[in-house]
Amino acid sequence: MSEMWINMGPQHPMTHGLWNLRVKLDGEIVVDVDPEIGYLHRGIEKISEDRHYNEVITLMDRCCYVAGFSWEHLYILAAEEALHLAPPERAEYLRVLCDEFQRIGSHLMWYAAFVQDIGLMSPFLYGMRDRDLVLDLYQSYTGARMTYEYMRVGGVRNDLPPGFSAEARQVLDWLSRRFDEYDQLTLGSDIFRKRCDNLGILKANDCVAHGVTGPMLRSAGVKRDLRKDRPYSAYDRVEFDVAVADGADVTARYLVRLEEMRQAVRILRQVLDWLDKNPGPVMAEELPRWLGAPYAPIGREGYLLKRNFPKGVGFSAVEEPHGEAVAYVVNEGGEHPYRVKFRSPVFSNISAARKYLIGYHVADIPPIMGSVDICIGEVDR
Amino acid sequence: MQPDDLSRHLAPILGDRLIAVEPFPETAGRVRFRREGALDLFRAMRDDLGFRHFSTVAGIDWVDHREAVYVLWSDDAKQYVLLSVDLPAGDPRIESASGIWPSANWHEREAWEMVDLNFDHHPDLRHLLMPDGYTFHPLLRSFKLHEPEELEVKARHV
Repeated sequence: MSEMWINMGPQHPMTHGLWNLRVKLDGEIVVDVDPEIGYLHRGIEKISEDRHYNEVITLMDRCCYVAGFSWEHLYILAAEEALHLAPPERAEYLRVLCDEFQRIGSHLMWYAAFVQDIGLMSPFLYGMRDRDLVLDLYQSYTGARMTYEYMRVGGVRNDLPPGFSAEARQVLDWLSRRFDEYDQLTLGSDIFRKRCDNLGILKANDCVAHGVTGPMLRSAGVKRDLRKDRPYSAYDRVEFDVAVADGADVTARYLVRLEEMRQAVRILRQVLDWLDKNPGPVMAEELPRWLGAPYAPIGREGYLLKRNFPKGVGFSAVEEPHGEAVAYVVNEGGEHPYRVKFRSPVFSNISAARKYLIGYHVADIPPIMGSVDICIGEVDR
Repeated sequence: MQPDDLSRHLAPILGDRLIAVEPFPETAGRVRFRREGALDLFRAMRDDLGFRHFSTVAGIDWVDHREAVYVLWSDDAKQYVLLSVDLPAGDPRIESASGIWPSANWHEREAWEMVDLNFDHHPDLRHLLMPDGYTFHPLLRSFKLHEPEELEVKARHV
């Protein structure tokens, strides 16, 4: 049979976002793929050059719409290094709190969407139900469920509301009982095992060569997690294990993400304990007013107060729910960053598609691409 | 790994193509080199020093010249390293790293279309985020926001 190119996307249930996977088929077998991205390119790096340091945070939430906190954190770390600022300790713990709740929220979103790709409908509903509890928690201290704008250069915007800790612990207790239930629904299902085992295999060597990071890399047995290897914020002060699996297939990626959620619950309990015992400021005190607490200026008046920080370059890397994200911020004085550069983990994970799709059937593409956990917002930026 | 370790290892390989190894907070250092030494440096970083993960390449337009900053990670040292090279604005070409790290492929495509860095011997240098036929380089300082641009977008696959 002759080979032909087929477009899967930009509108296709498999894509989970606006992108196009061009696949070359020989009958039912995939012989070549060419991912095509850029449909959601908003030029966030360019817009940032025209924005106040704190205004870039607004863009970061739009960068990845399921992991906004992680991207805020990434940018904030680089910006603080470029501007020679340091946050108070309580703000660092609050950022870890945000990051880990975000990891649970993002993985639950992935779980819901992924199992639906496989053809299991009820786990989708359970995943979305439990994610809503996490969103309620975000809402209680940031006022938003998706675009938080919570972190600030030099700290975070506000402290937790009274009663937050008890509420959060209730949610954690509920969640930690649910994870086993998820496993029963998926690993206990023959449909799931038949559609996921030994699919989309990407071995450790290929992962490293093609820049694949995050749960995909750890599912191949490589124990790389920036929270452990290069701790930022308060990650060196909490105990947790790095989730790894050795199957390197779709099921292994599922196992890694589920274990990461369990570990996130473990981290969150420690962080909540610390936050209960250690009240304090959440914003660096020496900040000039226009960058400072409690609310950063939003209108043009923020620009009137020019204050030149000494020049500097900031570099940061965080373990985002999808993998390794890197930011590079150049401060040339003045009120805008001179240049910001972001490295998205999903960008590299998609670029390796040739390695984990060729040779499989067309019907295997949805589970394989589902296991990559794609967020097009951060790929295109 | 410290900047001294890097320069001790790289100086014999690169000679005067190595400008300096500067300390950079929370990384193994920042290696400044001349573009003629690109391939030798990349090979040494991957094979001898263990930086097997190519994280990204950032292009920066300094108006009078351009800069490419490579970010690499080593699983053994558990450290990042930055490689920085200055390229003349009139002829911003450098050897592609995608033969050494396949992951550089897409990152270089992005740097090419955004900051107009030309990567020699890149296997597949075509538009990634922008449509085919797009002639601007949006992340150059000369590209101003809020100005209408004239653009005829071609269909990609006809």
